[in-house]
Order: sequence, then C-alpha cells, then structure tokens
Amino acid sequence: MAARIDFASLSLMDALDLAVLIEDEAKERYEEFAAQMDQHRTPEAARFFRLMAVNEAKHGQELADRRSQLFGGVTPTVTRAMVFEVEAPDYDQARAFMSPRQAMKAALASEVKAHAFFVAALPALKDAKVRALFEELRDEEVQHQALVKAELAKLPPDSGLSDDDFVDEPTAQ
Amino acid sequence: MSATCEFQAKDYKSDLKPIWCPGCGDYSVVQGIYRALAAVGRPPHEVAFISGIGCSSRIPGYTTAYGFNTVHGRALPIAQGIKLANPDLLVLAAGGDGDGFSIGGGHIAHLIRRNIDITYIVMDNQIYGLTKGQLSPTSQKGRTTCTSPYGSLENPVNPLLYVLAYGAGFVAQASPTDLAGMAATLEEAIRYPGFAFVNVQSPCVTYGEEAQQIKGLKAISENLSAIGHNPADRLAAMDLAQHYGEKLHLGVFYKNPEPPPTYDALIRERQAQLSQGALPKERILDLFIKK
Repeated sequence: MAARIDFASLSLMDALDLAVLIEDEAKERYEEFAAQMDQHRTPEAARFFRLMAVNEAKHGQELADRRSQLFGGVTPTVTRAMVFEVEAPDYDQARAFMSPRQAMKAALASEVKAHAFFVAALPALKDAKVRALFEELRDEEVQHQALVKAELAKLPPDSGLSDDDFVDEPTAQ
Repeated sequence: MSATCEFQAKDYKSDLKPIWCPGCGDYSVVQGIYRALAAVGRPPHEVAFISGIGCSSRIPGYTTAYGFNTVHGRALPIAQGIKLANPDLLVLAAGGDGDGFSIGGGHIAHLIRRNIDITYIVMDNQIYGLTKGQLSPTSQKGRTTCTSPYGSLENPVNPLLYVLAYGAGFVAQASPTDLAGMAATLEEAIRYPGFAFVNVQSPCVTYGEEAQQIKGLKAISENLSAIGHNPADRLAAMDLAQHYGEKLHLGVFYKNPEPPPTYDALIRERQAQLSQGALPKERILDLFIKK
C-alpha cells in the first residue's frame, strides 16, 4: 500500500524532497498535456503547457539544489508514491482543441490546488523549519497564480461564447 | 517514514504516447495501474497485460509489461490461457464495458467459477466511445445516443451485481475522482489470490453526459470504508451494489476472507498427482502397441 505523508514527523529533508517530487509530478503532467495537445493539433496550448513544464522543472531544480546543499547525498525517505496530483493539473482539466485561455485556466486551477495543499498541511507540522518552508512554498503558489493571471490578462477579450461549441468531435483513431 | 521501493511507477510506463481524447478518464486509470504495479513490485517482464478492443483496450501498449491487444470481447479467455500456460506471470486483463459485458459478457462467469488468478479492470464509461457514441450494455435507460435517438428502452447491466452473483472473490469499484484510492484498490485487487474484478467509472469526455464527468461523479461518490462497510460481507456488498448508477461507491465491495484455491493451482496439483503414476516418456508408445 502506498505510504501516506505523515506531516507531523516530516523533517526538513523530507519536506524538501517532497517539494521536489511535487514539482516533478507537475512537470511530467504538463509534458503529458503538451503531448496530448500536439496529438490534437493544438500548438498554442501545447506551447503553454511546455512552458509550464519548464517552470516546474526550474523550480524543482532550485529546491533540489537547496536539499543537496543542506543534506548532500543522504538517501530520501519520501517517494513519488506519496504524491498524488498536488500541483499537477487533474487529467480532466485537459480538453481537445483547448484555447490558450482554457490552458491557462487549467494551470491556474492547479496553482490554486497546490496553495490549498500547503495551507491544509500547515496545522499538522511540528518542525519550525518545515513550517517555514511550507509557508514559503504556499506564498510561491500565490506568486505563480499572479503570473498566470498576468498571462491571461494579455489575451484578447473573451467572446463570451463557449469554446466547446466550436469543437468538432475527435476523428476516429 | 519508510520508503524503500524497488520499482517506481515510471518503470511501467512505455514510450508510446496515449491517443485518448484529452480529459479522458483512462489517463488516470493507467496512472493508477502504474502506481499499483510499482507498489506490488513485480518487474515488468513478469507482468502480462491483455485487452480486447475499444479506447480502454489500448492500455497494454502504454505499459512496459508484456501486452496483447486481442480481439473484441476476448481479453478474458486469452488472459486465462496465458495464466494457465505460465502461472508465474502476473496477469491483468482490461477493457471497456462494451467489451466486457456485451460481446465478452459470456466469458466472465467462467473465469469466476474457475477462479483464475487474474485481475480484470473494466473501464466503464457507459458508451461505445471508439466507434463514436453508441449505446453500451451499461448505458442508463433513457440515454440518448446516435443509436438511441429517442432514448434507450433497455435496462443497463449492473457490472458489480453481475460479478458478485457469479461468486467473484474480489469485487471493487474505483474512479479517477480519487487517484490515490484507485491506485490502492488496484493494488489490493492485484494482490488478491484469485479472480479480482475492479469496475472503474472512467468518464468519456467526448460522448459522456455531464453527470458522468468528474464533477458529476464526485457529487455522488461515497467511500465504502467511510460508511463502515465490511468487505467480508457478501450480502451487504450485493445490497450496496444495487445502487450502481445512482451512487458511486468507491473501494472494496467484497473480498473473500478465505480465498479458495485458484484453478491454476489446482491444475498444478492435479498434474503433480498424475505424474506420480505416469509412464516414463520413453515408454508412452507402449500404450499404443499391442503386445
């Protein structure tokens, strides 16, 4: 059975490893979404999801570097089996022929979800350093939301029509 | 916190990119399968994944296990043959509700009564999606599709009651609404020594109705362990299974607390018994020669 995260016993090393794994899962999901968009000839959404994957990878690398500086090569005790769609967009957020706006809204929903995860975990944390890290990660999610919102604001005004109304059914596979 | 794990989910993921519609529930199902296999820890070369025909039957190709995308409705007999030929393999079978309960419906009873040690995962979306949205055996009565423009007049098959009635030793239901729960349920099914059935409510994002999408499923979902269901109680499981289509009960409906021997184990036992009195190979011809 996959182990669940025991927030009360989380050490700083565990917390950093967990944060890296969360970013890693999100990066992989965005790459999957980009591949799905390529498959359905939706290059704008694919480009945006690839950009998100790069951002998640960059953030993950920064956290991995911090972990490495503090704890070197100590074997991690947390695994990917403990991480379930914390910052990764849910699979049902993707749609065939997504517009850039829909893609950005999916990313925004994921950032909101990740923020909620860190907020929900805070009361259970016992270690002050872990708490500080989670607060930092929580605040970063707010910054990420602001970045996505800024990108959304750059898009031309919404027509008010549903994009789904203009979508053909997928071709037979 | 301990976390030694020989295999990771990515070890079971092939390089082939899924071509399901974006948003399809099957993306979560394959992710749940990767995670369950990693937790069970059998190497990919010891796993065989057999499917029929349909969107969901593409799943073996997306894993690094041995795979056989067979013909429509025939995943189970082929999975059975593979298990009997090589009992050491971990055998999974997968398909959709049409594949499993229409053209392949006759096979389920026989695998259950023989208790073949395989895990059968049905991705139930209540529609034939690959062929562009016809009624399937689990489509709700009244459902409008291209083959039922005025609404279906048929009652749907209840997959949970179906397998419980035939005596399946492990019956569960999962959904992409809870990926962690789905991975845990699939893991438990794979570990069960005998025929295990998991019905996964996997929404069809293209032909499914609004109520069958993730939001709609979340609204009717209820975890069986949270309502205090005892999975050893078969009659209670059958009672709960009657709510298929109205409520989405997630988790293990029934798990036989004393699993009977599997057919593959009985075959080996019989072979061992018969081999004791068997003639040596070089004397077998003597049976056919008149003395």
